[in-house]
Amino acid sequence: MTQQKSERIMNLAICLLMSRRFVEKAHIREVVEGYHDLTDAAFERTFERDKDELRRMGVPVETGSNDPLFPDEVGYRILRKDFELPPIEFTAAETAALGLAASVWESATQAGQTVSALAKLRAAGVDPDPSRLAALAPSVGAREPAFASVWAAYAERAPISFEYRGETRRVEPWAMTYRRGAWYLLGHDRGREAARVFKVARVDGPATRIGKPGSYRLPVDLDLAAAWRSLEPASRDETALLALRDGRANDLRTSGVPEPDAAGVPPGYRAYRVGYARPWDFAGELCARGADVLVLAPDALRETVIAQLEAVAAAAATVEGGDRP
Amino acid sequence: MNTSAEQVTRLLSLVPYLQRHPDADLAATAATFGVTSEQLVDDLNVLWYCGLPGGLPGDLIEIDMDALEGIGRIRLSNADYLARPMRFTPDEALSLLVALRAVRELTGPSDTDGVDSALAKLEAATPAADAAPGVAVAGGDEEVRAALAAAIDAGGLVEFDYTDSGLESSVPTVAPVKLLVRDGYGYLQAWSRKRKDWRTYRLDRIGAVRPVPGRRPRLGQPPRFDAGWLESRPEAATVTLRLVPQAAWITEYYPTLAVRAEDTAIEVDLLVADPAWLRSLLLRLGADVLEVNPPEAAADARQAAADALAAYRAG
Repeated sequence: MTQQKSERIMNLAICLLMSRRFVEKAHIREVVEGYHDLTDAAFERTFERDKDELRRMGVPVETGSNDPLFPDEVGYRILRKDFELPPIEFTAAETAALGLAASVWESATQAGQTVSALAKLRAAGVDPDPSRLAALAPSVGAREPAFASVWAAYAERAPISFEYRGETRRVEPWAMTYRRGAWYLLGHDRGREAARVFKVARVDGPATRIGKPGSYRLPVDLDLAAAWRSLEPASRDETALLALRDGRANDLRTSGVPEPDAAGVPPGYRAYRVGYARPWDFAGELCARGADVLVLAPDALRETVIAQLEAVAAAAATVEGGDRP
Repeated sequence: MNTSAEQVTRLLSLVPYLQRHPDADLAATAATFGVTSEQLVDDLNVLWYCGLPGGLPGDLIEIDMDALEGIGRIRLSNADYLARPMRFTPDEALSLLVALRAVRELTGPSDTDGVDSALAKLEAATPAADAAPGVAVAGGDEEVRAALAAAIDAGGLVEFDYTDSGLESSVPTVAPVKLLVRDGYGYLQAWSRKRKDWRTYRLDRIGAVRPVPGRRPRLGQPPRFDAGWLESRPEAATVTLRLVPQAAWITEYYPTLAVRAEDTAIEVDLLVADPAWLRSLLLRLGADVLEVNPPEAAADARQAAADALAAYRAG
């Protein structure tokens, strides 16, 4: 069944590609294998489905008339210049990069799409070379349950609705990005009438289509860099004076500046000035290092850290039965 | 999965490919197209009935079925009109662009130019490329990656400053073999000279890399480092944290076995392979942790907090 259908669609594609003029439906029925034996109604149905299938595959099937006096005499064609991949050539360094691409995606669907794109390049004479960068194994995950439905809507530009933190959101997907293991969607939120960024991991269940592919346009002045900036780590505008235990917390030492004249530095420690962005996050990061890092200034940060350490010491002691040191 | 759409998409690439690669090997071609040899034979059987409209014998695509069945070689002809593949679909183009951008996150300065120019050419051939997803990996310093890649190519040894997940510092000497990415973080896979075993180091925790004298020993393949690598570590133990709801962010950052949400708290089952990692997590969460099970799993963190408080009092 599939084999016959594939033959028919393939022959239809070749037929429409080989003609410079629009091919009328009656002629298609006559010359394309698989259509003659069908009843009128079955032919109409089958032909419409096959044509739509070609379009879904990205084959540019044009509709038009050869005779301006009879615009109702509709025919079909595929223009070679719209159908064929334009000439494209790659240097050795570029084919090395392409050689790694096939193994990057962890999602089977997207890996398949990548293999399909690479097969087209190979069919155009490009030879992706996986050996040169063999020591690299990049990967892109897609384990978010809603990923497949969100990605497909984004690729086809279809509006979707989904549950997000207990609310139904209706969104026109504009762009996606993958940052540190998490997918994000940028789109026009119809309910809020504004652009919004969504973390795909927080989309509850698969997204539902609420419109046809291609039924909205991306804004012409879309500034992706600005839209994604909210996802970047905040700039480190604040500075703390920290005492770092010798031989420990090397990463903070690398990002810091030595402060040899600082007062109140215990023996075995040296003082550094270290930049940070959000006091609350930074306090947690410092607590995580225990006695390897002591805050000398600012006072507010020092007090936050001490309070949090006291909470850990006390809470853990309660659970274990009050054996307080 | 084998729909007609997938098959016809493949056939439209297969015909130009086979004309460019005369006498192609069946198994190798199947691998190139990501299908089994059986599927590829089915594909060729479809093409056997395809050709120019009219369906006369001379109009059909010709395939040497004897060569296919006898020696597994594919010889296809009489299809000059399908000499070039189809354009990329949006999904194909976006998937390939993402893959290349992920490659770029791991390359050092000497290979980045090749990736960038390949990306530029593909973007030029892709209508929707301006909205193609960016990829950002915590891959550490470009110079660190370049030094490690150079040592991998040369089969040499390096030492570097390292801060592990428990925030302990060390200066390991290793034979680097692979740079890889898991869940958005870059890692080095290397043979540790001291431990005589494979070790994995997060790239963004590696400081200055220095080459040291010596050659990489003869080594087998490093162990697979896949999504289940943590679960496969035999020394890993399950620890349950009861947290205030505001601490739910940790489930997006750390691999969890199970998450149970209640009205006033959430319970998270974590797989803990490294006690130092759990200690630093509990210290970071502070009062957001309501309960730890088993309770002794919190002893390390309590001790570390007490030590730190003692250091504050002394200072």
